[in-house]
This record gives sequence, C-alpha cells and structure tokens, in this order.
Amino acid sequence: MIEKERLVTIVGPDKVINEPQVLQAYSKDMSFVNPVKPACVVTPNKADEVQKIIQLANDTQTPLVPVSSGPPHFRGDTVPGTGGAVIVDLSQMKKVILVDRARRVTMVEPGVTFGELIPAVNKEGLRLNMPLLPRKSKSVVGSILEREPVIIPKYQWDISDPLACAGLFFGTGDEFRTGQAAGPGTIEEQWAVGGVQKSPYGPGTASWHRLIQGAQGTMGIVTWISMRCEILPSLEEPFVVGSSNLNSLLELTSWLIRLRNVNECFILNNTNLAAIFAKKYPTDCQNLKDNLPAWTLFYNLAGYEYFPEERIGAYIKEIDDLTQRLRIEPVKTVGSVSANEILKAVQQPSGEPYWKLRYREACQDIFFLTIYDKLEDQIRVMNHLADKLGYGASNLGIYIQPVVQGTSCHCEFNLFFDSGNPIELDRVKTLSASATRELMAEGAFFSRPYGENAGMIVNRDAATVAVLQKFKKIFDPNNIMNPGKVGF
Amino acid sequence: MALSKEIYSVFEDVVGPENICNDPVIMPSYFGKDFAAIILPKNTAEVQAVVKLCNKYKLKFRPICTGWKGEFPQGIILLDLRRMNRIIEINEKNMYAVVEPYVISAQLQAELMKRGFHFNVKGAGTNTAAMLRGHGHLDQSTSGDDRNHLAIEWVTPEGNIVRSGSVGSTDEWFSGDGPGPSLRSILTSAVPPGSTPGVFTKAAVKIYHWPGPSRFPVQGISPNITLSEIPPNFMARYYSFPSLDKMMQAEFKIGESEIAFELMGFNIAMVASNMTVSNEEDEEVFNQFKKEIQGVGFFIIIAGNSAADFDYKKKVLKHIMNETGGKSLESIERDPRNEGILLHNCIRICASIRETFRSGGRFSSIPMMGQRDLTVRWAVGAGKAKRSLIEKDLVVDDEGAFFGWGVEQGHLGKTEIFCRYDPLKPGAEEAVLKWKAEQQKRASDEHYFAMLWGPEDEIGKGLCNYQSWWRKIKKAIDPNGVALEAGSLV
Amino acid sequence: MSLEQYQDHMEMCMRCSCCKFIPMQRVQGDKYTYVCPSITKYNFHSYSGGGRLNIGLAMLKNGFNYTDKLLDIVYNCQMCGACGVSCNYAMDMEVMEPIHEFRIKCVQDGKISPALEKVITGLRKQGSMVPVTGKRGDWASGLNLKDASKEKVNVLYHVGCLTSYDKDMQRLAKATAKILQKAGVDFGIAGNNETCCGGRAYQMGYEQDFLNQAKKNIAMIKKAGVKTVVTSCADGYQAFKVLYDKFNLKGDLEVLHISEFVDRLIRDGKLKPHKKVDMAVTYHDPCHLGRLGEPWIHWEGKRLSKSFVFDPPKVYRRGTYGVYEPPRDVLKSIPGIKLTEMTRIKEYAWCCGAGGGVNESNPEFAQWTALERIEEAGSTGAEAIVTACPWCEKTFNETIKGNGSGLKVYDIVELVEKAI
Repeated sequence: MIEKERLVTIVGPDKVINEPQVLQAYSKDMSFVNPVKPACVVTPNKADEVQKIIQLANDTQTPLVPVSSGPPHFRGDTVPGTGGAVIVDLSQMKKVILVDRARRVTMVEPGVTFGELIPAVNKEGLRLNMPLLPRKSKSVVGSILEREPVIIPKYQWDISDPLACAGLFFGTGDEFRTGQAAGPGTIEEQWAVGGVQKSPYGPGTASWHRLIQGAQGTMGIVTWISMRCEILPSLEEPFVVGSSNLNSLLELTSWLIRLRNVNECFILNNTNLAAIFAKKYPTDCQNLKDNLPAWTLFYNLAGYEYFPEERIGAYIKEIDDLTQRLRIEPVKTVGSVSANEILKAVQQPSGEPYWKLRYREACQDIFFLTIYDKLEDQIRVMNHLADKLGYGASNLGIYIQPVVQGTSCHCEFNLFFDSGNPIELDRVKTLSASATRELMAEGAFFSRPYGENAGMIVNRDAATVAVLQKFKKIFDPNNIMNPGKVGF
Repeated sequence: MALSKEIYSVFEDVVGPENICNDPVIMPSYFGKDFAAIILPKNTAEVQAVVKLCNKYKLKFRPICTGWKGEFPQGIILLDLRRMNRIIEINEKNMYAVVEPYVISAQLQAELMKRGFHFNVKGAGTNTAAMLRGHGHLDQSTSGDDRNHLAIEWVTPEGNIVRSGSVGSTDEWFSGDGPGPSLRSILTSAVPPGSTPGVFTKAAVKIYHWPGPSRFPVQGISPNITLSEIPPNFMARYYSFPSLDKMMQAEFKIGESEIAFELMGFNIAMVASNMTVSNEEDEEVFNQFKKEIQGVGFFIIIAGNSAADFDYKKKVLKHIMNETGGKSLESIERDPRNEGILLHNCIRICASIRETFRSGGRFSSIPMMGQRDLTVRWAVGAGKAKRSLIEKDLVVDDEGAFFGWGVEQGHLGKTEIFCRYDPLKPGAEEAVLKWKAEQQKRASDEHYFAMLWGPEDEIGKGLCNYQSWWRKIKKAIDPNGVALEAGSLV
Repeated sequence: MSLEQYQDHMEMCMRCSCCKFIPMQRVQGDKYTYVCPSITKYNFHSYSGGGRLNIGLAMLKNGFNYTDKLLDIVYNCQMCGACGVSCNYAMDMEVMEPIHEFRIKCVQDGKISPALEKVITGLRKQGSMVPVTGKRGDWASGLNLKDASKEKVNVLYHVGCLTSYDKDMQRLAKATAKILQKAGVDFGIAGNNETCCGGRAYQMGYEQDFLNQAKKNIAMIKKAGVKTVVTSCADGYQAFKVLYDKFNLKGDLEVLHISEFVDRLIRDGKLKPHKKVDMAVTYHDPCHLGRLGEPWIHWEGKRLSKSFVFDPPKVYRRGTYGVYEPPRDVLKSIPGIKLTEMTRIKEYAWCCGAGGGVNESNPEFAQWTALERIEEAGSTGAEAIVTACPWCEKTFNETIKGNGSGLKVYDIVELVEKAI
C-alpha cells in the first residue's frame, strides 16, 4: 500500500484525496459489483506523474484503478476489485493537444469530454464519430478505449476506430506509444516533419492499440490518444423510418450501410426514443412512447464540399428504391419526434440529466455484438426473460447500432430501475445475469465483459483468455492494474 | 537437418505419406532451402497435430500460403497449406467471408461478385491468398492490412487452437475482438512481412458492395484480354498533374469526397507495364504515354451504385480535376479498349507481375503504409536518389518514380518506391540494396518512419523498444521457440 | 536446344503461383480454378510449372541428382502447356521449353520411365505408339483411298497411331475419310506405310526418336509431293505443324487439323451440314490443337543488359494462336447442336490427362485428370463432351467407364459425319 506522502511528492498535496465522502463515491457505481473503497484518489496532471505512480505502485504492490470519465459510472470497471487500491483519476488532464483538419485527426488527453472536444474539432471543420449520447462527464479517451459503438458505421472501418494511436504506460511503468506515434523520434520530432500520429499499425508486427482497448485499464494507463475525425458535412438530411417490423428495418439498415449512403444510422425502440426526447417524466415519456412505433430507424444523409444537394439527391433516390421494395417509408417525424431533432441531439453528448437516468434514476445496460439474422431471436429471448422475471418487456430500452461498416451490430438493452427499491434492484440484477447467460446461448457475443457478469462471459472462451493471461503477466507482472477486471 | 525416420513417420501418421516429403530434389521449388520436411496438412486438426509434434521434438516450423517469396532458415519444417483451400462461409447480410489459407483472392472475388460483393484484393495479385494481411489497389474503398480481418482461427505455436472474438464462444465469425482486449493485437498477419507466430487456419475478411456485373465481360485470348464493354456506371481514367503537390491535393479531395472506388497512384511506367503484353510493347507504350502526361499522376476508377450516383461522382471528379489541373490521359479516355484493360486488370488481377517482375526479373522495394503525405515527402527524396542508379544504367528507367494511394478514402495511405533491375547485371543488385539501406536510414533519421529491415534492437530503440515486448509475447506463446516469424511474403 | 539455353528464363521464375491456375481474369468462382493437373493432384509446389523451373535451374547450377522423387515429378506431367499460358499472361519467359528440355535430358541420361521406354521400343520396332494389331491401313479397306506411298497426292490425311490401330477409334478415321470424300477433296493416305508422327515420343522426352520419325514422315511427304497434311489427331497436328517447324523440317508444308479443314470446307460451301443432330454438348480443347498448336516462332538474338529484353525482340508463344474457333464454328454449323462452354477452355483448358506419357506411365493419374474434366463437362448440363483428339476421347471413355458417368464422348468428325 502506498503512503500518502509518497503520492504527494509526485502529484502535489491537492491531488491526493482521501476524504471519506470522496472515497465513498469511488467505491461503487451504478453496476452490481460489490462496493470496495479505495485507499485514496490521485488526480495527476501530467504523463510523467502517471508513470511515477505506476512505478510506485509496483514497488508497493498497490492496485491502481484508472478512471478518465466523471461520474456516474455504470460498468463496474472503475470500482476497485480489491482493497487498498489507488484510484488514478485522469479527468483533470484536459488538453486538446492537436486538431489537424488536413489529416483529419485530433489528439487529446483522458480528461477531455465529448462536450469539450466537439467544439474544438468543429472549429476546424471536423467532427467526431461518437457514441450515442454519451453522458456529459464521459471521457472521449475512455469511450474509445472501451470500444464503445459509434453512430456512423460507414466511418468505422475497424472495431478499433476511431482510435489511431495512444501514449501509455504499461503496468510495468514502461512508456509506450502505439502505431505511428511509436517513432522514430519523439512526438514533437514527428510533428516537425509533418507526422500526425494517424496510422495505427505497429510498431513491428503487432497492432498494439488493440491490446489496450477493451482492457479496462488492466494493461496500463493511457495518457493521450489520437483519433481520426471526419469532415463536418455542409448539408445534412436526416430521416426516420418507423415500423413494428424490426426485420424490415434491419434489411433497410443493412443496405443503407452496404451502399454507404448514410452517416449516422441506428435503431431505437420506442422506450428509448421516448426516454431521450421526453420533456417530462414519467407522464410525457409514456405519452410519447405510446405514440411512437415499436421501432425507429434513424439515418442521416450528408453532403460535403462538392454539390452536396446532388449527392444527397442521388442517395434519396437509391433509398426510395429500397424502401419501396420493403414497403416502408422514410419520413421526417415519428410520433412527435422529428428527424432533425434526433440529428441535433446525437451530434452532441446527452443533456443533463443523462438520458438513461431520466426515466428512472438508475440504469443497467446489457450489450453485446451480434449479426442481423440473430437479433430478432435474441430480442425475443430478452423480452421473454424480462416478462418472466417481472421486469416487463415493454419497459426495456433497446438500441441497435450497426458497427464496423455493418459487419456486426451492437445490441443494447437498457434496464431502467429505481436503485433505491430493493425489489427492483434485485429483479434487474437477476435479469441481467440470466439474460447474459441466455443471450450467450443464442449467439450473442459479449465482447466487452463488465461487472459481475464478466466471469461467466470470459469462461466461455478459455482459449482466448489463456492467451490474454499471458499478456497480462507481461504487461502487468505484479497485477497492479485494475486487478479482478476482464476476468484477470 | 534431416529428420530421423522415426520422427518422419510420426508426421506421416498425421498427414499421410503422400503429404510429406523431405527429398532434396523438391527443395529448389521451396525457396532453395533444405527444409527438414515439407508437410501438407488438410485441416486445422492436422495443423494442430503437426505443431504439437514440432513442440514435442523441438522442430522449428513456418507456414506458407501461396508462398511467393521467402526467407527461411535451413532445416525447419515448412507447412505448405495448399490443401486448405475452402471458402467456409459467405455472410451476405453482415458482409464477411470466411476462408482457409489457400483460397486465392481470385476465387473469393469471383464468388463474391456473383453475389454482388467484392473485397480487398492485395496488390501482390489475385493469385495470392485471400486471407493475407495486405494492401492494394482497392484500399481506397476497402481498407487494407489487418483492418480487413474479423475473427481468426489460430493454431498457436504450442499447438492450441484459439478462435478470436465471436468465434471463440459462438459459431459466427463477425468479430475478431474480445472478450476484453483483442487478440488481433497480435493476430495481424498470416505470413510476413511482420507475422504472427503460429498458423492462421481460417480467417474472416470483410467484404464490400460490388456495383458491377457478376462477371466482367471479358473477351480475347491470353494475353490480349479486353472487355467487350465498359460495365454500366464504371469509368477508369489516368490523370497527370502539373506537380506532385497538385496531385496530392487531388488525391486528398477525392478521398474526402468519397467518390473513388479505386485510386491507384501508379506512375505512368507502371500503367504502361500493366496494360501491355510484352516488355517491348511496354517500352513503346511508356514512351508514348510520357508524351501525353504533364507530370505525376494516378489511376482512378469511379463506380456508381446507380446512374445518379455515377453522374454525381463523375461531376465531382471533373470539378476536382479542374481545381487541381489534372489532365486525363487520352490514350485511356478515348480508347475503351485501354480503359477496359486497366479497369479489369486493377480489379480482377491487381497484378504486380507485369509492373514489377517482367522487365528485369527482380525488383526491390520500400513499401510504407501509414500517413500518406508524410511518406510521399520521404519518397520524393528516395526517387531523386534512384535517378543516379538510372543514369548509371543499373536499374530500369522509370524516371525515379514512386507510387502509392490513399487508404480508407484518404485517411491513411501507402507509398512505395522500387527499383526494377537485372540481377545478372554486375553491380545492379548491390547498388539497389545500397540505395534501399540509405533511404531507409534517412527515413528513420529524419523521423518519417522506421526502418523496415535491420537488426531488431537497433530499429526498436527508436520505436519504444517494441521488440522487447514482442519478444516477451513470443516467448510466452511459443515457449519452445518453434514458431519462426520470417518467411514468405504472400 | 538444351536446358542451359534456358537458364535465364528459369531464373525469371518468381514463384508467383500463377502457373497453377487459369489466368486470374478467367476465374469464375471457387471451382475450376486450377489449370495444372500435376500440382492439383500432387500438391507439392515442385509439381507446378514454376516448381519444375526452380528444380531445373538448381540442377543446372548444382548438378543433376536423379532420385525417384525427381523422376516422379518429371514424369507426372502431361506437358500440357497450361502453366506456360498462365505465366506468359504477365511474364516474358519460356516455360514449356525448359520443362521439355529437362525431360529430354532425363531420357538422354538414361533416367527413363520403364513404361515409356516400352512404348518407345514399340515405336522403334513398328512405327507406332500403340500396340500393333493387324496392319496400320486395315481400317481403310474397301474405301479405295489413294495411297500416298505409291502416288502423288496434294492432300495427305495422316491418320495417327491410335486411330489406325484401336478398334474403337478406327471409326474416326472412317468418318474423316467420308467427310473428305463428301467434300470432294482429292486426298490420300499412307495406309500401311504410315508411320508415327513422333509427337508423343517428343512429349515423353525422346527427342531423337521423334526426329527419326519426323524425318521419315517428311521424306515420304516430299516424295508424294504433298502440299497439305490433314490430321484428326491433335498430337499429330502439333507434331507436323509445330515440332517439325521447330526442327526446320516442315518447310512450306501446310498443316491443318480436320476441324480447320472442315471449317474451311463449310465456309467454301463444299460441305453442308444439314441433318439435325439434337445434342447439348460442350467442347474440350485438346492441348496440342489449342495452346500447344500455335505456330512455332523461329528466333535468334541476344539479351540486352538492363532488363529481360532481347535484340531482336523475342516473341513468345503464349497460346494466343492455337486452334480454338474452327472446331467451335464447325459445331455451331451443325443444326441442333447446342454448345455450352466449360469454365476452362481455349488457351486455358484443363488437360484430358493423356499427354506427356502420363497415359502410359501413370494411367491412374491420367484418369484422375480426365475425371476432373468430365465433372466440369457435366456441370455445364451437356449430355456429351466433344473433342478433336483420339487420345482425349480414349481417356475420357476409359474414365467414364470406370466412374459411371452418363456423359457421352464424341469426336468432332463423328458429329460432322452425322450432319452430312
């Protein structure tokens, strides 16, 4: 265990916190993981401070839990898995280091939120490929390292996108930079010849950035990332398609992405759409929901520098052919929610309160990757379980996000509940565990194992985990990096 | 090093006597090395069994797919994966295909085109394995390198079967990443340059929409293959520019406007080589083209999903060419025969052969994937240095050219410069290798990119000592040190 | 010619593997992609065209090491030329010539295949590549055909060993004669005095035996004043047209395959296929009529230093000028014939399996090769495979018999005979 004084010599006295209420706040989150109080919280400002903390933690066998986003946290990955841990809260590292229009890249520190980065890149004519309505306090780096799905599948060529390169310290305390950032030369020397840390490959054989994504801080601590940006459209034309027939929406979705006609593209069920757009809860929310179709596909057509109207016009024509065949109709409004409203909303982080907490004051997410053909059965399983366990299928929020240019779908069930109500809490906890198990049996791939269900997820792929364990021993031989997470 | 009869027979038990050979007479066809044996497994189980035996008997091994070129040490076991040649699955809705190692790109592409899809065929040619990490003519719209892989089935150096991502716990191949951190961090390549130790026995690759015909309307007798017509909503052009800067501007604008199906920064020498059927014709056409161009250029294919889309893309292209001073090569624009040859070659063959090997028998290159504008800046210098070799008549004259292209609509890029030469000409090979070494060193010293070849520790010093981490990984996954990394290019 | 002369060309092989496959732009899917029977069956790269060049080059440099495995590689090759066509789409280099020279060298060094040696012994004794039963001219008895060994003839119909002696194949000779007679062609045969063209001996590596046969044939042709040789055997066609020219024996002799001749006769109005032959067929291009049947190119020159170009420019035989269209045109002119092409056709056709001595030295491999072709033919929906070489037909028939396929096999002359 690290003595406070040693941390103070690294980060300064203001940056080492062990007030009980602060420790209490970090000891638990919205998930069902067991609360574990950390020993203290440090809030470094600079990368070399992070390195020294890691080195000290190795010397003293002190677990470290890296955190980039502000509260509330949902997944259990920021709650210590073991006692005596030090929270390394990077949320005050807030530099937007670089925004480069020509090479379509930005570089940021972990504490930068979407709300802070969006205007910075917009100023340069760029935009982010971002997740759906992240909370205000969500760190961009955190989101990307978690491989959160992004809402423009066309621009996600690989699951690691939009991540380009990262600067980090492994659990050993060694510095590393992935991709083009690795060298030759320092970052500044690379800049001097026009390098912008855009290319993710290497160094050498490996694609190291893939090792730290999805790792929940178990391999090391990232102190900056570069990420690719897209160009701000000069013209946008969003549409919605409502239907009770999910299959036809999925068919249309697969074609929209295949033809690369659309930018933002996702499907929400009525519960979620209402949760996002209701002005008041719960009555308005219920009214809104009642007037929405069961499913709404949202997509946005965009034009850029050259003849944007013609580009969008060509896309509209192609989509008309598709929708006529499928007998569905793109419109501008579903219920009382307009496509423009949706577009405006999703190009920013969520307003306050966070949309998942408006309906009820807590939310448990169950999410996995799957393919179109399996979705309906998986939703059916979830609905059945929700009804069976008394949650009620009609209360489920469902979000379907095609990812990686449509090669798979992120499917997310949002379970809203009152965490102060022990019955509801218990019900949601049971539902979460049962659903995870049964959905896996239906072919759901839980690529991002969090919280109390992580064990059952990783146990299904012992071969992969065996290799990951070897990595863990290499990059964090003393197992100080967020021990107990991801099945480590 | 010869295998003992006993060990040989153990391998025979796995694959059958007709699928193992260590007769020295076959070795010249296997890179001229004295391998301990060439083994031809049929499926993953056989690969696993062979690898486990290699561990048991401490025999080093290396797999190859089509095995174009190779650097191998003597005395190892070579796994020739020729018999593993099935297309396992094509998932049209979720756009991926699953292949074994010896499915060549031409086969997969033909099957995909029938279904309205295609995929990234590597620049090495459609005669090479579909599952390779590679990059090529189609990167602009189909990405490149390991970014086209999804789930992978991997026989580890210890002989364990690991299935990355979704296929590790489900029957589906749609994702290669997780649970947790991704094994695709190391599962980057079936074969070198840069390779994952062990054997890829299956891989899922992304596939993409194909707006063209299910089969190209090919006519003629080899080597005079042409298209009877340009498919609807397709266009191929070569544009030259008044300066490199203008060309790069055009390349970036095209990337950002997302209009190109293919953008291949061929220099005109390569265009001539690609289109012609003999070295003599190559020289003739090159000399003719040289008169028509104004400077460096690229080849572009526009493909519309619909007539409206096609019209839009052509309009944008025209506009960009006006803005950047791009001039269309008339020999292609006005001659559908030429247009068809290039269109077709660059999609169905992607053949490097005419452009690289035909003229001189050898070529040696420095390829760089990464940030396009940065690598171009470096390549300008490398091209200048190449001119002195041309002046001394040591390499084929291509006016010091380099080539490259945008990847993922210009987000990334590829730049390559090579020398074509006659290995029998005194001094040629030496000069080329010297040039290569100098230019790579310059790239490293001036912080463009790292040296591609050389002592690992020296290169690694400037790259966060990645090699020390890689060695640890290698040792962890290959405790008996049997899985070699260097080897075949494709 | 010698293997050493092709060292430069063998050096050019980059191991790209194109020689294993049909030209890439012709690939139509997962199936029917391979073009080399040898690598397809035996899988080791050594069995491919490129592998053979690699081995030949190594042996030139390091000495010849004749092991059983080497001979297995050498003799399990139909010498079909497909590897060369695929390679020469992109590369300027000789492929088949060094492969041939390597075979020839094996024979010269006494590294023979006993089965082939037996066949050549027969050739030397009786001028035939097949066992002799009866007299060579027996098939023509009663037909009153001119005897070219006794009188002058303009057009010589060279029948060929298999067609002459094989009871099943003699019908092809009769059909050919009937066609020529119907068209009013003034032709003769050598009858009992016909001797083997030597083509298959050359394929097997017996260059001297081939030359002996060639000289005999040319002597007889000159004596008879023959201007045109017509043959219904693809091997014979290639021997007269290409090999005799290669060795400067052909002179001005015109050489036509019967399919070319019939095509010409139809165009000239001298032959009118008018009877309906209702049949769905597919056409198999014999290697020695197609890609290997293209004219020989005489060339002498030297290599320029900086790249693999020559002075004067070397023109390569890439399979471009083989006989592909005349047989097809003939089939299309027969009423009722519905022709559907296979995937592997013309210059990139899959071999029937019989060439290069494989029919004799490894009948199992020959039939394996033929079976691949029969399956491909069946995949077109055709009820019959039509070809223009008795060796192809023999191999197909033997294979069908052993495998229970319902596919019928016809020579093109049989269908023409039905139609006239």
